[in-house]
Amino acid sequence: MKILIADDDAMSRRLLEKTLEREAYDVTAVGNGRLALQQLSLPDGPRLALLDWMMPEMDGPGVCLGVRQQHERPYIHIILVTSKGSKQDIVEGLQAGADDYLTKPWDPAELTARLRVGQRILRLEDRLVEARETMRFKATHDPLTSLFNRGVIIDLLDRELIRTRREKGCTVVIMGDLDYFKDVNDRYGHLVGDEVLREIARRLLTSVRSYDFVGRYGGEEFLVVLNNCVSAQAVARAQEIRNAIANQPVLTERGPLPVTMSLGVLASRDWGLYLAEEILGAVDLALYQAKADGRNCVKLAKPPALCDAPHELVR
Amino acid sequence: MIEQRDRSSKVAVNLPELLLRLDNDLDLLCELIGIFKEEFPRLLQALQQSVARENATQVEVTSHALKGMLSGLSVTRAAAIAARLEQMGREGKTSGLADVLTLFQREVADLLPELDGCTRGMGL
Repeated sequence: MKILIADDDAMSRRLLEKTLEREAYDVTAVGNGRLALQQLSLPDGPRLALLDWMMPEMDGPGVCLGVRQQHERPYIHIILVTSKGSKQDIVEGLQAGADDYLTKPWDPAELTARLRVGQRILRLEDRLVEARETMRFKATHDPLTSLFNRGVIIDLLDRELIRTRREKGCTVVIMGDLDYFKDVNDRYGHLVGDEVLREIARRLLTSVRSYDFVGRYGGEEFLVVLNNCVSAQAVARAQEIRNAIANQPVLTERGPLPVTMSLGVLASRDWGLYLAEEILGAVDLALYQAKADGRNCVKLAKPPALCDAPHELVR
Repeated sequence: MIEQRDRSSKVAVNLPELLLRLDNDLDLLCELIGIFKEEFPRLLQALQQSVARENATQVEVTSHALKGMLSGLSVTRAAAIAARLEQMGREGKTSGLADVLTLFQREVADLLPELDGCTRGMGL
């Protein structure tokens, strides 16, 4: 495990370094507080630190304060090593953000024991963070496809619409529904149906840019939100998605299954001040039209002012 | 009043305790003594100057550094006197500093030869 030693006393630094190397730590040693904070701010920097109290440029408590202000970094366990032993000094050090303290001259057995405590705390913190991230993922993603769930994809759409209106940009919204998916479930069973949904999700994700959003809107319905997309490209992008699904059968345990998708598409720039709910209603209507026109095709949703013209069908 | 005593009856370095802390690593002991010999004269000189100038802040900082080094090498009595100087510096007391410094100098007068003796005695 990586550990940082910061001490301006070369002897003390060397003694700590040697003791910790014996304990198989990966040691970085520096001679002042500024360098210590620099090391502890590195993305892959040490998460255990032994800091001398009095150091040039920045003292140990100063380094603690600096570290604790970096809220986005993983937790760093800091032990102040000091010959200051008064209760007031110790309280000051702990209030600055130190987790523990060790009095000079330190005992090697006590030092390693306290570091083991630090490691235990860091492991616990890692487990808690991991659990929180797992919970966060479960709360925001569809368990079968790992795409964003319905609530999240609608929120993201809402946010994107607001942003593109503010920036006078364009968000393209694509709603896709697998054709005859009920037949897949009825004929091959739900497990095969799940295989198809997972593969479609994968193809949707690979068909869009890393900063676009893809969500599972309903059973076999998917919503794609393309950020900062040129309005004129909306249909072409939807076509790419349709092709990515139709061009290759999905390989399942029951053999390859041809699958197609009908898509409704809408470019927010053509629509102006519409709510996400209205946008979704309009793109859903276009999708319905694509189904009605024979499936495996893309229909562009037009705003009400242009609605006298029939929906544009692209196959 | 400066404490008078016969130093010759006592060694400054608590070698058994030091070796215990170093896990009997004689190479490390030799390395630490080398660092000490390099750093100590400079710090002692800085302390003497700070006392002469009655610069309490600098006395505190230098005594603190000396205290750390001395306690690191288990030179406990001298470390205790350095702690006293540090405390006086922190409190801004300049009267009596020279006396305590004299006591400190007496305590460390034979320290470097004694440390050399330690390394020679161990065949280092």
